[in-house]
Amino acid sequence: MRKVLLVARHEFWTNCKRPGFIIMTLLVPLLGLIILGISLLAGGRVTRFLEEQFAPQPKRIAYVDHSGLFTPMLPQYEGRFLRYPDETQAIAALRDRHEQTVVVIPANYLEQGKVLAYSIKSGLSSTLASDSTELRSFLVDHLVAGRLDPAITARLRAPYSVAPVWLDESGRPSNEGIAAMVLGFVIPYVFAILLVMTIFTSSGYLLQGIGVEKDSRVIEILISSLSSTQLMAGKILGLGALGLLQVLVWVLSGWGLLIGAVGVFALTGSLPINAWQVLLSIVYFVLGYLLFGTLMGATGALGTSMREGQQIAGIFSLGAAVPFMAMNFIFANPNSPLAIVLSYIPLTSPVTMMLRLGLTSVPWQQLAFSIGLLVAAVALSLWAGAKIFRLGLLMYGKRASPREVLRALRQA
Amino acid sequence: MGTVTIRDLCKRYGDLLAVDRLSFDVQRGEIFGLLGPNGAGKTTTIRMIMDIIKPDSGTIEILGQPPSVRMMEHIGYMPEERGLYPDLKLLDCLVYLAELKGLSRTQARARGLELLERVELGDYARQKVKALSKGMQQKVQFIVTLMHQPEIVILDEPFQGLDPVNTELIKSMILELRQKNVAVVMSSHLMNQVEQMADRILLMDHGQAKLYGPLHEIKAQYGRHTLLVDVGNGAELPETLRGVASVTRHGHQYEALLAEGGTPDDVLGQLVAQKVPITRFEVGSMPLDQIFIAVVSRNHKEPTP
Repeated sequence: MRKVLLVARHEFWTNCKRPGFIIMTLLVPLLGLIILGISLLAGGRVTRFLEEQFAPQPKRIAYVDHSGLFTPMLPQYEGRFLRYPDETQAIAALRDRHEQTVVVIPANYLEQGKVLAYSIKSGLSSTLASDSTELRSFLVDHLVAGRLDPAITARLRAPYSVAPVWLDESGRPSNEGIAAMVLGFVIPYVFAILLVMTIFTSSGYLLQGIGVEKDSRVIEILISSLSSTQLMAGKILGLGALGLLQVLVWVLSGWGLLIGAVGVFALTGSLPINAWQVLLSIVYFVLGYLLFGTLMGATGALGTSMREGQQIAGIFSLGAAVPFMAMNFIFANPNSPLAIVLSYIPLTSPVTMMLRLGLTSVPWQQLAFSIGLLVAAVALSLWAGAKIFRLGLLMYGKRASPREVLRALRQA
Repeated sequence: MGTVTIRDLCKRYGDLLAVDRLSFDVQRGEIFGLLGPNGAGKTTTIRMIMDIIKPDSGTIEILGQPPSVRMMEHIGYMPEERGLYPDLKLLDCLVYLAELKGLSRTQARARGLELLERVELGDYARQKVKALSKGMQQKVQFIVTLMHQPEIVILDEPFQGLDPVNTELIKSMILELRQKNVAVVMSSHLMNQVEQMADRILLMDHGQAKLYGPLHEIKAQYGRHTLLVDVGNGAELPETLRGVASVTRHGHQYEALLAEGGTPDDVLGQLVAQKVPITRFEVGSMPLDQIFIAVVSRNHKEPTP
């Protein structure tokens, strides 16, 4: 174990000092900081701009009524709606930019329910008008005016607003709001992406390191100082820690920026986190990294050059990518057989499970089975990986044949 | 006591028998020369001792134990193909490799600095390995082997690529190891260097042992029949001498090959009697490379059994 830690420490520090690593790690928070800084400088303007984008001011709607149902106009719509006697005048006003939207209600409106919305080309207002609750209330109010009691009229205008209630396992309504719902999905999703990124970053360093050791032949000294299992375990541990450090820097700086952003944009809302989900995500993250790390390390060592090693090791990254490709299916039904199968197969299970955890409550039997399989796969890949790794380490400029790989696996 | 004991070692690569029924021992406090032409199986043998590759058959014992990672802590190994971490600082590189051999960090630092001073690289401790010249790197490689004060030191072609000054430095350090009762195994295809240092040798060819034993015995066996004679100015060696088969002349120097039954004493007596002015009279042992060529070429003539 001491030697494993020695290798881990060595790999961690030598790679930590690489300029590439430092730049990559600091670039992400730096970019975030720059964006935040610009927003701060721009100050209120940004907030106003955003508000305008997402919450456009209600604007006056001009209308022409051929059905007679909306003439005269109810007094409460004075100022928000303006009636024109005919289309020619209304459209002239539109062209003169006195009006932004003209809604024409045809004579057969009652039968067909169709209205026309005119606006100057490239304006969003006609689409907005067609969707607006304002127009809906206007129509409803005029249709039922005086015929129904005001409460029913109000319900007709807005029949429902959903107040979701989530029940926890014991059937009690949980008081977590929409933020928890979103975060519950976002956290596993972020972990899944981070897992994939860590795998690629760390395995890149792993392969590069092995390449240097093979080229400089230090490998012979290493192999006669510690077992290949220790060497591989140490490398994976050290580089895994390095990958985690990078992820941690990103996550923490992201968190800090988020808090900063909350201040700048005066956004509100607490960020509750489900501890159980985070814990499971971490378990899958660690196991997933171990599996990919060993497999990529072992096969990468078989390559004659670093580039070739990366190509061989790249096969396994497909395993990490498959759940993202199948993401639509997983989103549509997180408990479909495809999603369940993908969350059992060790190569795809870490990412799939992380995604599913955010979407549905996964039965504990499935979790246990999936984690069990993953642990077994990690053990197997460590055992076989160390042998293949060793075979690969001592091959210079020569590719191992499948027969040699099998022989290496049989050798004690 | 034997430190490395090898019995009936065999290793085959495809059709090539790289090591063929090899047996030998290495003792404490001796310099053991593992000799042979390129491709004789020296490096393969060393790699099997180091547990880098597994033998097909035969046994290897290191201090009475089969090779294992734990036993490797008793061995210092300098591979034939040299290399260190190019981007690491010299001392860090030494410390890391020594820690892997079981030294503590502080021990490794102290020992590293001491050895760097010894090979005149003390000023370079904080330089990156890649900033060093090839010869310097070679010296560093050598001290990597000695960092953990091993009982057995295995050096694969230790003088390759070294200039004469550094060669002498490394040689003196190897001789010091012998004084400290360390077993040194030195492989080489350069006979003259081994000749000056080795106590016992194993000469390999085509994976087999051709000569094995104390160097002086082997040389005695092969070298008793040359006389090196220098004569004074203007003088010449007599045309015929009893017990001499042939004479070759290089200026004032003569090389006389003894005939069957001829002895150096008898020849010297004749020269003294004939009042030849002798400035040098030496019973020449055959240089090791001559023995080597003789053994190897003899083996090439006879098909291997």
